[in-house]
Amino acid sequence: MINVRDLHKSYGANRLFEGVSFQVEKGEAVVLIGPSGSGKSTVLRCINGLETFDSGEITVAGIGLHSINRKRPMKEDAETIRRVRLKLGMVFQQFNLFPHMTVLQNVTEAPIRVLGMGRAEAIAQARDFLKKINLEGKAESYPAQLSGGEQQRVAIARALAMRPEAMLFDEPTSSLDPEMAGEVLSVIRKLVDEGMTTMIATHEMGFASEVAGRVIVFDKGSIIETGPPSQIFTSPKVLRTREFLNRVLGRF
Amino acid sequence: MSRLLKFLLLLAGIAAVIYMAAPSKPKESTLEKIKKRGYLLWGSDAEGGAPYAFPNPKNPSKLVGFEVDLAGAIARELGVKKAVQSQNAWDSLIPALERGDFDFAMNGIEITKKRMEHVLFSAPYYVYTEQLVVRRDDSSIKSVADLKGKKVGTLSGTVAQDILMGMRGVNVRIYSGQVEPYQDLALGRLDAVLLDLPIAAYYARPNPALKFAGPPVGEGLYAIAIRKNDTELKKRLDEILAKLYRTGELKRIYEKWGLWNSKQDKLAAFFKNSGAETLDESRSAPIKNFFPMLLKGAGVTVLISVSSMALAITLGLMLTLLRLYAGPPFDWLATGYIEIYRGTPLLIQLYILYYGLPNIGISLNPVMAAFLGLGMNYAAYESELYRAGINAVPFGQMEAALSLGMKRGLALKRVILPQAVKIALPGITNDFIALFKDSSLVSVIAMVELTKTYSMLAASTLRFFQLGIITALLYFGMSYPLSLLARRLEKKLKKDRR
Ligand SMILES: Nc1ncnc2c1ncn2[C@@H]1O[C@H](COP(=O)(O)OP(=O)(O)OP(=O)(O)O)[C@@H](O)[C@H]1O
Ligand SMILES: [Mg+2]
Repeated sequence: MINVRDLHKSYGANRLFEGVSFQVEKGEAVVLIGPSGSGKSTVLRCINGLETFDSGEITVAGIGLHSINRKRPMKEDAETIRRVRLKLGMVFQQFNLFPHMTVLQNVTEAPIRVLGMGRAEAIAQARDFLKKINLEGKAESYPAQLSGGEQQRVAIARALAMRPEAMLFDEPTSSLDPEMAGEVLSVIRKLVDEGMTTMIATHEMGFASEVAGRVIVFDKGSIIETGPPSQIFTSPKVLRTREFLNRVLGRF
Repeated sequence: MSRLLKFLLLLAGIAAVIYMAAPSKPKESTLEKIKKRGYLLWGSDAEGGAPYAFPNPKNPSKLVGFEVDLAGAIARELGVKKAVQSQNAWDSLIPALERGDFDFAMNGIEITKKRMEHVLFSAPYYVYTEQLVVRRDDSSIKSVADLKGKKVGTLSGTVAQDILMGMRGVNVRIYSGQVEPYQDLALGRLDAVLLDLPIAAYYARPNPALKFAGPPVGEGLYAIAIRKNDTELKKRLDEILAKLYRTGELKRIYEKWGLWNSKQDKLAAFFKNSGAETLDESRSAPIKNFFPMLLKGAGVTVLISVSSMALAITLGLMLTLLRLYAGPPFDWLATGYIEIYRGTPLLIQLYILYYGLPNIGISLNPVMAAFLGLGMNYAAYESELYRAGINAVPFGQMEAALSLGMKRGLALKRVILPQAVKIALPGITNDFIALFKDSSLVSVIAMVELTKTYSMLAASTLRFFQLGIITALLYFGMSYPLSLLARRLEKKLKKDRR
C-alpha cells in the first residue's frame, strides 16, 4: 500500500534521511516512535507530498512519487502529488480545521469541490461520520466553539469523508489534555479495528503498544528498529531503543 | 490674465513629452466637425472665476461671463445652435486643446511667444490692462509711481507681477488666487493690489472698502487659442471677431460686464458697473440654488470612487496572487508595479494617463482616465493589504486544504482568501474612504466632481464657508455609511470564527 524506498532528504547542509526504506501493507497499523527531531513528521509529510525529498522513491497505492526536489513542481508532478493525496487522509497535530466554516461545511467542502459529490449526498455522508465520532449535535458549530478533542475528531471525519485508502496521523493527541486525547484515540482505534491502513506518529507509548500492528523506531533520521509492539516494548534489541523507552517510560 | 508661471511649472513637472506633443491631426477639419455636431465646444475653466466664465449664482448649472456671451455670439455666426463649455483646469487648457478635447480654448489666454509655439491665436478679442487698487481711506497712493516701499499684492505669473518686479523698492507679495489679495488689502496686510482689470472690476470694485487708484497700466491681448493645423477655423474666427467689433456687439458684451475702456476703443467711457451687481447677487442668492450642482458633483464622485474601488480590489487581488504564487518573472513584475505605484504621486499618474498617453497614440476620455488612474493606484495598496492578510493565515490551513486533494487555486479561493479578507477588511475600508476623498484629484483631468464643483461655485460667489460646509457634509454623508457597513461586516465575520 505505502512503499518507501531509499529515501534521502536534507535541510541545507543537515542530512536528515540517508536511505530510509519501509513498507506498509493494506490494513496494517504502523506506529512511528522515536525522540523529538528524529524525522517522524517529516517522513509522513514526504509521503503526502507536503515535503520534497532529494532522492529515493515513495509509492502509494501504485502511484509513484520520485525525488521531487524542485521548489516548484511541474504541472504533471503537481497532479501526481494530488492523486497520491486523494488516496491518503492526513490528520495534523494542530487540527487545522477551516475556522470560517461550520463543522458540517468542513466535512463536506472537499467531497463537493474536489470529488464533485452532490451536496445532499455529501451532507448525508458527513452526518454519518459525525455520528460515528459522537458529534452530530455540533454540525452547525464553528471550530472555535469546540474543545480541542472535538476539533481533532472533526478533522478525522473531514479526512475520512474523502474515502481515503490510508490514514496518516501526525501526533494527533499531542496538543490535547489526557481526557480529550482519550476520545480521539478511541476513534482512531475504531478505525484500525475496521481495517483502515494507518500510519501514526506518536509519543503515546501506551496507545502505540495497544493499537500498533508494527512499530517503527526512528532516531536521527534512521530506522533503528522495527517489530511488533510486544517485542519492541518488552525486549528491544537495539540499545538506543532501550534508552529512548527508558527516557519516556521511566523503566528498564 | 496671465498664469504663465503656473502653466510653465506644470509643463516642466508633468513631462517633456507633453511639451513636445505633436498637434493631433483630426481627419476632418474642426469647422466641419462643428457643423456636423450642431454646436460649438469651447474649452475654459469655470473655476478661473468671474467675469470670464463662471456658474450663474441664480442658476448654478448655467455658466455666465463675458466669454460665455462671446462664445454664444461666435456660435451664432458659425451657424450652429449653441456654444457648450468644456470644463478643464486652466493650466491644462493648451494640452487639452492639442488632444482635441474641444474646438478651441478661450479663457483669458494671453498671446505669448511661448504659447505660439503650440497653438494658433485668433485676432485678439480684448485688450487687458492692469489696475491698481487701494483701500478707500488711503490717499497716499494715487498711481503706480507711489508704490515705493509699499506692500503690493498680485497673482503669480501675471504681467502685473512683471511690472512690479521691474520697479525698485516695491515689496511684492505673490498670491495664487485672485480673491485673497483683495481680502488681505481690505484687512490692511497689503497697501495695494495690482491685477488684470477684469479681475479688479469683478472682485475689488464692489467692495466698499476698496477703490481704484489711477488709470490702468501695462497692456496685453487675450485671444482664442486654436490648434496649429486649424488655419481655416482661425480665418473664420478672425472674420467673426472683426464683425462683432464692427457691429458693436463686442462692445455691448464688455459694457455689460463693466469691462469696456479706452484701451478697447478710445471713444468709450470708463466702467459701466453691471459686474458689481452680479457679485452682489451671488452673495445673496439662496443657498439652495447650489444644491442641484453639488449633488450632481457628488454623484460623479460616487460613480468614480465605487468603480475605481472595484478595479482596485480585483487588480490588487491579481497582483497579490502573481506576487505570491506565480513565480518569476511575474512575481517581480507585480512587486515592481506595486512599488512604482506606491512610490509616485497619484497626481503624476493621472497626468500621464490623461495628457501623456495621447503622445503615444492612446487617448482616454476623462471618465476612463479617472477610473483607471484611481483604480490602478489603489490596487497597489489593496495588494499589500491582501498579502498581509494571506501571510497572517496559518500555514497549516494551506497544508490541510492540499492534503484534502484541493488544487492550490481552490484552496486559495475557498480556504485562504476568506480568512485573509477578514484580516484585511478594516484596511480595505479605510482605503475606500480615503479613495472617496482622493477622487477629488481627478478634477485635474477635466472631471467635474464634487470638490471641483465646490471650488467653481465658491470662486465665483466667494461663499467658501457655507458651500464648504455643505460639500464637507456631502462627503461625510457618503463615507460614514461605509464605515458603519464595514463595522457590521467585521462583526459578522468575527462571529463566524468564535
Ligand atoms: N523546514 C525545516 N527546515 C530545517 N530543518 C527542519 C525543517 N523541518 C524539520 N527540520 C528538521 O528535521 C528534523 C526532523 O523533524 P521532524 O519534525 O520530522 O521530527 P519529529 O520526529 O516529528 O519530531 P517531534 O517528535 O518533535 O515532532 C528535525 O531535526 C528538524 O529540526
Ligand atoms: Mg513531529
